[in-house]
Amino acid sequence: MSPSFGRGAMTNSWSDLKNAEVFLIAGSNCAENHPIAMKWINRAKENGAKIIVVDPRFTRTASKADIFAQIRPGTDIAYLGAIINYIIEQKLYDQKYVLNYTNALLKVSTDYKLEAGLFSGYDAKTRKYGTASWGYQLGPDKKPLKAESIEDPDSVFSKLKAHYSRYTFDTAEKISGIPAEKIKEIADVFCKGKPASILYALGMTQHTTGVQGIRAYAIIQLLLGNIGKAGGGINALRGEPNVQGSTDMANLVSNLPGYLPHPINTDKTLRDYLVRNGSFFEKHIVAQLKAWFGENATKDNDYGFSYLPKTNPAVNATMVKLFEMMNKEQFKILFNVGSNSLVSIPDRQLVRSALTKLDMLVVSDLFEIETAQFWREPGVNPADIKTEVIMFPAAFVYEKAGSMSNSSRWIQWKDAALEPLGESLPDLDMLDHLFKKIRKLYAGSTDVKDAPILKARWDYGEHTSALKVLQELSGYDETTGKLLPTIGDYLKAPIGTASTGCWIYAGVTGNGNLAARRNNADPSGLGLFKDWSFAWPGNVRILYNRASCDELGQPVDAKRKLIWWDAAARVWAGNDGGDLVDKTKGPDTPEGKLSFRMNPEGVGRLFAATYMSGLPAEAPADGLPAIGIRPAGICVDGPLPEFYEPTESPTTNILHPEVSISPCALVVSTKIGKSDQFPHVLTTYGVVEHFCAGGITRNIPWLNEIMPEPFAEISKNLAAKIKVVEGDMVEVSSARGKITVRALVTDRLQSYKVNGKDTETIGMPWSWGFASLSPGPSTNEITIAALDPGAGTPEYKVCLVDIRRAN
Amino acid sequence: MDVSRRGFFKLSGLTIAALAAGLGFDPAVAEAKGYALKLEGTKKIPSICHFCSGGCGMLLYVKEGKLIHLEGDPDHPTNEGTLCPKAASLLSVANSPDRVTKPRRRAPGADKWEDISWEEALDIVAKKTKEVRDASWKAADQIVNAKTGLPESLTVNRVEGIAFLGSAEVDNEESYLIKKFCQLIGTPYNEHQARI
Repeated sequence: MSPSFGRGAMTNSWSDLKNAEVFLIAGSNCAENHPIAMKWINRAKENGAKIIVVDPRFTRTASKADIFAQIRPGTDIAYLGAIINYIIEQKLYDQKYVLNYTNALLKVSTDYKLEAGLFSGYDAKTRKYGTASWGYQLGPDKKPLKAESIEDPDSVFSKLKAHYSRYTFDTAEKISGIPAEKIKEIADVFCKGKPASILYALGMTQHTTGVQGIRAYAIIQLLLGNIGKAGGGINALRGEPNVQGSTDMANLVSNLPGYLPHPINTDKTLRDYLVRNGSFFEKHIVAQLKAWFGENATKDNDYGFSYLPKTNPAVNATMVKLFEMMNKEQFKILFNVGSNSLVSIPDRQLVRSALTKLDMLVVSDLFEIETAQFWREPGVNPADIKTEVIMFPAAFVYEKAGSMSNSSRWIQWKDAALEPLGESLPDLDMLDHLFKKIRKLYAGSTDVKDAPILKARWDYGEHTSALKVLQELSGYDETTGKLLPTIGDYLKAPIGTASTGCWIYAGVTGNGNLAARRNNADPSGLGLFKDWSFAWPGNVRILYNRASCDELGQPVDAKRKLIWWDAAARVWAGNDGGDLVDKTKGPDTPEGKLSFRMNPEGVGRLFAATYMSGLPAEAPADGLPAIGIRPAGICVDGPLPEFYEPTESPTTNILHPEVSISPCALVVSTKIGKSDQFPHVLTTYGVVEHFCAGGITRNIPWLNEIMPEPFAEISKNLAAKIKVVEGDMVEVSSARGKITVRALVTDRLQSYKVNGKDTETIGMPWSWGFASLSPGPSTNEITIAALDPGAGTPEYKVCLVDIRRAN
Repeated sequence: MDVSRRGFFKLSGLTIAALAAGLGFDPAVAEAKGYALKLEGTKKIPSICHFCSGGCGMLLYVKEGKLIHLEGDPDHPTNEGTLCPKAASLLSVANSPDRVTKPRRRAPGADKWEDISWEEALDIVAKKTKEVRDASWKAADQIVNAKTGLPESLTVNRVEGIAFLGSAEVDNEESYLIKKFCQLIGTPYNEHQARI
């Protein structure tokens, strides 16, 4: 979503779902995995909303649908491309929105092209794209040239039109297995409802084309004018209780907190960093350096920029790749907090092997998860494993104070309700104690490498205080030492005078702890609840809500008014906080027109062009490289979503057989299966009773009682073919391994045709491992480690398997 | 008719009572009494569910330091008092006999854990962190400059031998300190399950 809209977060909120007229739920079984979504979807349905569900299985969510389509896993871009084609051909798009709030009119470089499945700039040796030809035609002012009309052959809109003209309903049927008429019906119903909401979860992201699938959603929603509106949006249903927060805090190799790009080795100075990333980030990275190094971060020492480690951009160290590096003995210590990789990583033999290469594994968790005791997995001889393991007993969520950010971006505070059990302690305390011990070991060192540890600001009290940490995120006026009241105050402060550990959280504790607010009034009736906790950024509840207004700043939907320009008071007013640069800049000013202010073009991006805004027309006189304002988010595998087969596929890509799978996919697994030996498609999923890798839920007796073991869900046709009945044990095998589970024979999966060939999908939940109160085989024994080239997300949702009766 | 949640309970209780009137006892009263006894003297503390990203509100009922009951928070705008089966089961985590309650060490090659103190555990990890940090410190990357074609040494001040996974399961403040900890000791190799 970030390359389309400028931020990678769910656009709307749970309670906003009630405002939708139609839903496309594809890549999410929210009835089981996000039950709370269903509460609000059902409320919309009671008001007449239509529900479309596209899924490989007839799920519990599908049981509520007006239209259900069974899709072959991993082929979403084919049917979504056909819908985009239909919207353009039938002129179903929102003309005004497309012209004013997207980059439809901007002219694309004449060097850009797509040929036989490859975009311009491909390097077959590195399997990467050079992205220069994906830019705009720039004027002498370094700004993109704008076409007179969307018919201009160089316009983004024309490129989009040409690109998707190949995606007919018939082609989409051959690829996806969804009948052409059904795709047309989905398109008609979805385009008719305004506002229309799209919901997705891991069913869309866990592919080698995961990012591009979401881009296809973005294109549809921008064409239809559904972003920035109550009841619209693209709602990424995030998986864990604080996955929004942990992404905001950047427990990711590519970022620093608040979505700041991580410094790389060519960033010798802060200035180099800004040349690469734009001046937009100057305030935020300096504020973060001030939060981390206090008075030791000064203008004279480049605010301590040299204290930060720099990554090597040639190395991809995303989660699965980290285990590959570990297996090659790069790491001697792995800290492992709240994560159970031995169950959750695809092709998990890699994890099993990699952990043995460590000197030390440090685990903090509530239960003795599989990862903590990898050295005694059945079949492993502990004596052979030299890894020392330290396990810290973690306190449970109710045994500690702190905040979590939900999918709606609400930062919600909770007080500690209980004392930690036994000797367990919050991870906050563990990290605090550990850092202080390490700092003591380095005391007195004058080695330059130890400066970041010795010069850090690290003071969270004698008894580690979560509130103090949240206040660091919220931000201080460094000249007075007082908390900055609001994000506005932070943005107004001169560079170097303010600190915040994560600028998008600025102001959360500025006027008391806003994350702890419990006023559930909702005067607009739109489910905004703006006095309940605090939503980043700046308590905006519906992102990009400027796009809910017309050019004059008035709401286009009279029933669902979010914000409006109050011409008399000369200020943006509204039911929601405005997603605006400045509340006092009206719709007649350049700032007041920006619908997607986080994008360098200020509009939504149908075409993910390379672009840096704010570059001067003339090169700077001092000879140094110019600093622009803000770079565009790029998809490394192409500016428009193109359909590629999954890495392991039962068929060949009919659009371009020579480039059948993603040309950029990162394939980590070394054993790849072919459909003659492994004819069926395996897709993995979750069940309501268990959570992720099961580290918690498999230790809860009553959940184990209602969902005691994993299984393989198969169609009646397949069951007849391999001669099993429900409850029989079956062996499911892939090129990487095999496991034996019980068969679940069901109507929820049906045989289907792909490129004319009968095909079967097998579904398996994946939450089990060898330990806990309820052990069971791990499905990730057989899945494939093939990653999206941009996000690093593995293709859990598709691999090839065979199945036979066991014993 | 406007039936509030509590009113609804009363109403259904009365209906049962009416039905049971001929049985010689009043199950509604018995039931209400059991309920009152269970929650009597408890402190009601609002909190948040710890499974999916819904962020549903919960009410925790705590007595003498023990969590004895939890339910959906009727004032919470997202879930309005409802909970899914997973959320409702969190009670048993707080009181689970299977929780790890002491720091543990598994020595290289050993086939079992030994309990150790926090102080020992922290010392072992701190010492090892320093040892690995010092040994795997990389001051500079050697690269070939793409423009000039000449070799170049770029200062990186990076630790190569330490990785940190975590976490979408911890609070914002903890997640932030994980990142800050990693950056201060010099490792960029911090990832977590949001990636997968």
